Amino acid sequence: MPDLEIVVCMKVVPKSEEVRVDTETLLLERTGVRSEINPPDMNALEMALTLKDDQPARISILSMGPPFFEPVLRVGLAMGAERFFLMSDREFAGADTLATTYTLAQGIGKIGKFDLILCGEESADGATGQVPPGLAEWLDLPQVTLATELSVDQKKRIARVRREIKGGYEIHEVKLPTVISVKTASNEPRFIDFHRKLWAFEEAEVVIWSHADVDVEHGYIGLTGSPTVVAGLREAEVRERRKEFLRGSPEEVAKEIAKRLRGILN
Amino acid sequence: MTVDQRPIEIDDALWEELIEITDGKAAPCFQCGVCTAACPWGLVRGDPLSVRSIMRGAQLGFLEAQEAIWLCTACGQCEIYCPREVPIVDVFQGLRQLLWERRKTPAGLTTVLWSVYWNNNPLSQPPSQRMGWAEGLDLQAYDSSKHEILMYFGCTASYDSRAQSVARAIVQLLRAADVSFGTLGEEEPCCGEAVLRLGHSPYFQDVAQHATDIFEKIKVGKLVTVSPHCFDVFKNHYPHINESFKPIHYTEYIAGLIEGNRLILEGSLSSKITYHDPCLLGRVNESTHYPRVILETVPDARVIEMPQSGPDTLCCGGGGGRMWMETPPGERFSDLRIQEALDVDADIIATACPLCISCLEDSIGSMGVTKLKVHDIAEIAQMALGEVSKNDPVEE
Amino acid sequence: MVASLYAPSEAKKALWVFLEIEGGDFAGVSIELLSKGRDLAGKAGWTVCGLLLGNDVSDLANQAYSYGADEVWLIDHPLLGEFDVCGYSHVTMQAIKVGKPSVFLLGATPNGRDLAGRLAVRLRTGLNADCTDLILDEDRGVLISEVTGFGGGVIALLESAEHCPQMSTVRPGVFVANEPEDNRQGELVNMKVKLKKADIRSTVVERHVGEGVDLTQAPVLICGGRGIDGDFEILRELAALVDGEVGATRPPVDEGHIERERQVGQTGVVCRPKVALNFGISGAFHFIVGIQDAETIIAINTDPEAPIFEHADYCIVENAHKILPELIKVLRRERESIHA
Repeated sequence: MPDLEIVVCMKVVPKSEEVRVDTETLLLERTGVRSEINPPDMNALEMALTLKDDQPARISILSMGPPFFEPVLRVGLAMGAERFFLMSDREFAGADTLATTYTLAQGIGKIGKFDLILCGEESADGATGQVPPGLAEWLDLPQVTLATELSVDQKKRIARVRREIKGGYEIHEVKLPTVISVKTASNEPRFIDFHRKLWAFEEAEVVIWSHADVDVEHGYIGLTGSPTVVAGLREAEVRERRKEFLRGSPEEVAKEIAKRLRGILN
Repeated sequence: MTVDQRPIEIDDALWEELIEITDGKAAPCFQCGVCTAACPWGLVRGDPLSVRSIMRGAQLGFLEAQEAIWLCTACGQCEIYCPREVPIVDVFQGLRQLLWERRKTPAGLTTVLWSVYWNNNPLSQPPSQRMGWAEGLDLQAYDSSKHEILMYFGCTASYDSRAQSVARAIVQLLRAADVSFGTLGEEEPCCGEAVLRLGHSPYFQDVAQHATDIFEKIKVGKLVTVSPHCFDVFKNHYPHINESFKPIHYTEYIAGLIEGNRLILEGSLSSKITYHDPCLLGRVNESTHYPRVILETVPDARVIEMPQSGPDTLCCGGGGGRMWMETPPGERFSDLRIQEALDVDADIIATACPLCISCLEDSIGSMGVTKLKVHDIAEIAQMALGEVSKNDPVEE
Repeated sequence: MVASLYAPSEAKKALWVFLEIEGGDFAGVSIELLSKGRDLAGKAGWTVCGLLLGNDVSDLANQAYSYGADEVWLIDHPLLGEFDVCGYSHVTMQAIKVGKPSVFLLGATPNGRDLAGRLAVRLRTGLNADCTDLILDEDRGVLISEVTGFGGGVIALLESAEHCPQMSTVRPGVFVANEPEDNRQGELVNMKVKLKKADIRSTVVERHVGEGVDLTQAPVLICGGRGIDGDFEILRELAALVDGEVGATRPPVDEGHIERERQVGQTGVVCRPKVALNFGISGAFHFIVGIQDAETIIAINTDPEAPIFEHADYCIVENAHKILPELIKVLRRERESIHA
């Protein structure tokens, strides 16, 4: 049986507490901001690596973003992935979900054969969770989102997925190939394998694709391919705790708490 | 239960790996068992941590008792008594490294490593918040040509709200003594002690190298730490930085200021104080004198010793990476320590380590003790600053 | 530029809401969206349509009218009894091609997000996910969606004026459900669709609800510390009233008052609820790590100097035992008045 081919979509996000908005350009200021791999994507990679622990598999990381993604995402190679494809081109920039999923889908097409596409549940910056279904749609594949466990029967070409739902879970079965999004914090990503470190950070060849390298239609990528327009952008008030003291008799205080709970939960 | 009765399966590859990782350090061990007897786990468990059988495993090439390998608090008590001077703590860390290689680590420890990787601290806290505690203190960026010392606060004192008060106390003491000092601010590198003690030696080398590069670049000289943990790694586990580099624990530095009459403690504190030596000061680095110099200078304070003190101190249970693992109730060394402090009728149990404070205060809470308080020596010295020095503007 | 399947000029002045069914009834968020949709459309003179999918669900239409739907587009089919994103996308697409709405809103629930993500691509339109507010620019016929990013640090206003339908998803609880008007009438549009078994592409082979504890998913976390003296029963009572889970600091766990899997903090579970209520907790750092990502933190403790108050939005200096019975009383009364 051929090795299981897994593509893991990953991205780099700025550490959320450091992000600032440039009020004039309405763009996010990213200079000097510390970055990290989108934490849910680490869970997706760990899920792929767990599969590879038990069966022959090859893991390819796919990402779309600026060149600085490369050194950061090499961490994924050090954790155990075999290949890393980075779609990096100014033309790809400014993409919303539609353009992003299109571009990634075309990248996956260029990678070639695959059995599984794993994504993090959502990204820490956008937090929309719309990439996995969008990707599945472009590729005309089934999808299961919010997976916490995954097993694959290569012979039957079936993936068995545990999916979290309100107050419990479901087990889904889907045919391969399929797209799966992985629930944030559903596993503890393994640390860098130091036997791979030198290779991963210095020797491994990262495949970098510009728009010319991939079969993409210009109108579908980047800002041009994005129906969504940012009409305004501002920083939320700093999330300091309010530290507001509620005073009164226990009964009065209880009413105050209930009132606030109502505000928060309804 | 004795391990020797069980058939031993020896894996040659593992044996070689083990010898290499532990650098043959287990070789001189001749199974006398003094280590097992010395280990504080014997005080809290009916079935003590059999250091001896783990050492035997390390010699023969099998990983004995994987759970037990994570129990070691790196307190070093066993090493004091070992007749062959085997570096037992190092061997345990080597064994942990093997378990990292086999990905057989307790849940949660990988997260600690990743936090050091992405956040520059093992506490999963935002790096941009590292100096949050010092708001309004107007700390200066370190300049080796200008400052007497580099004040290194470390991750715990920077983020743990309890330990932050120790950091603030030290700042106030330094100012009261008119010491010129600088800090690295947000750029202060994590020392990597958690990584070292959890046994990920290759990653520790990376962390240490990164910090070393920073220290070299700023031409560091005297570096004063809040935590004995940072002090110990800088002193004993770091690569060579430069000729002038000298890590000092703050107790030694403050004691020096007192002895040199730069710092005068004149505020009264009429309390019975007993001092809990942190393992990494009292035992591992044989620094028992300086903390007591400070305490004995405090006017009206009475310093009393517990039976287990100095190099014979009782571990609080928080070292060796145990802060990142759960210790079941009834097995916390700090409970015994609090009892010991109560037995000598102390009002204050003083210490000089943020992790000790955390463990001791936990025990005070769970034991329902009300008459004993835990304070860092820096806080005690701060309380004993005379009114004049106390009113020195700390803010702005 | 990508063109959507139909142009804004072809779109009807209609706002559609996907009516998600949960345990035989509408999901709360669907009612909230109908209510919000009613408010938005009412001012602009648009039609509000509920899209109702399922197997034998026509009875629910009346409820949709009572919350503001002018029309309910019903797709009743034996294969739609279980939510399958491929099957649901397949038939929704057919309805949208006929109805050509200007705006299509869905709940940002797991299923709503799945469906929205696929449909937006199939329709080649923009999708604004997890909106925190919606505004309808009546003159332009454009939906403006407010979204947050970076853990709430940045707020953006998004629109996709050139594409149709303008799609947004909204989390449960963002909008408030209107009072139902029981006699409100509407029109039922019975859609006939093409759907075959092969269009359903994943199978649910098992489902377990109400088993196991997962504090990480709880929207409300009720935590008890040493100050509640082991009385977790009253916390459970409170939790039941607000659909919360009970968590604890280390000491009560140690003392055996509650199971270890409910320990919150550095060596326990790290949670990110909408609200964390903390009773009798002083706020040691290793506990705080477990709740620091909560949207709102409420703390009740006798000690005004307790560090927990540094991390709380609402602070109450009082014995937890005094507040708890009163709070339960108030919430119970509230609950009864809703159901009455």
